[in-house]
Amino acid sequence: MEAFYFVPEMLFYAISGLILLSSIMVVAARNPVTSAIFLVVDLFFVAALYAQLDAHFTAAIQVLVYAGAIVVLFVFVIMILNLKPDALRGIRFSLGEALVLLITLAGFVIVGSELAHTAPDLTMPGNLGSAAIEMAGGNTYVVAMRMFTAFLWPFEIASVLILLAIVACVMIAKKDKRVTKS
Amino acid sequence: MIPVENYFVLSSLVFLCGLAGVMFRRNLIMVLMSIELMLNAVNIIFVAASRHLAQVDGQIMVLFVITVAACEAAVGLAMVIALFRRYGTVNTEFLRLLRG
Repeated sequence: MEAFYFVPEMLFYAISGLILLSSIMVVAARNPVTSAIFLVVDLFFVAALYAQLDAHFTAAIQVLVYAGAIVVLFVFVIMILNLKPDALRGIRFSLGEALVLLITLAGFVIVGSELAHTAPDLTMPGNLGSAAIEMAGGNTYVVAMRMFTAFLWPFEIASVLILLAIVACVMIAKKDKRVTKS
Repeated sequence: MIPVENYFVLSSLVFLCGLAGVMFRRNLIMVLMSIELMLNAVNIIFVAASRHLAQVDGQIMVLFVITVAACEAAVGLAMVIALFRRYGTVNTEFLRLLRG
């Protein structure tokens, strides 16, 4: 049993390293197709992280929706537009932008340290630990029970949002007759 | 049991990667991909906190964030296509209509 004690931590560090590496590659790759492929890798390892956190349903949705639908959409648009790789002069580093990154980092540090000190007092832990979820019928069952009772209205609003997005996509991407005629 | 702070650090770093992408890339599609990266970083915190606090509400929030991210990507890419059709480029240096 002792030998397996460090396995989750090693798994976490390996997955985190791969997530960081692939997200840096998403931002740094010059070719948009390369970025999209690394985005798939990144999202897949984030799904692995979710599975490691016992969020099995979320991991499945992550792979299905993000890697299966969103990135395919990106690749499709890249293919339609026939983009060339960026010129390297596109990356220029001004003082203001560096300042924004630094301030964001400082904000994370401040918020993180505050959370580390006060979070256990401010928030009431629930009673759905890993063992309790296992007893109640598994992660998917528990999430579904919560979603269709307490979060029913947000769920319905999300479906309306998707409907709106469909209509908006069709209207925006439709060929505009007034523009193409001139 | 991995401490929840580790997930915060990982999420912050991924978020900073996405922010750097939004600021430094000039290709509109790359900007959209970086926004996906930032939303994903937030999702990591949601799931880690959900595990840490022994609740599933964080995972339900992740599902809503994924829904919003899908809508945002679809509408954003539709706008990219419309812009490309209108101006023939998706480089943000040439799309300066609001810059005055």
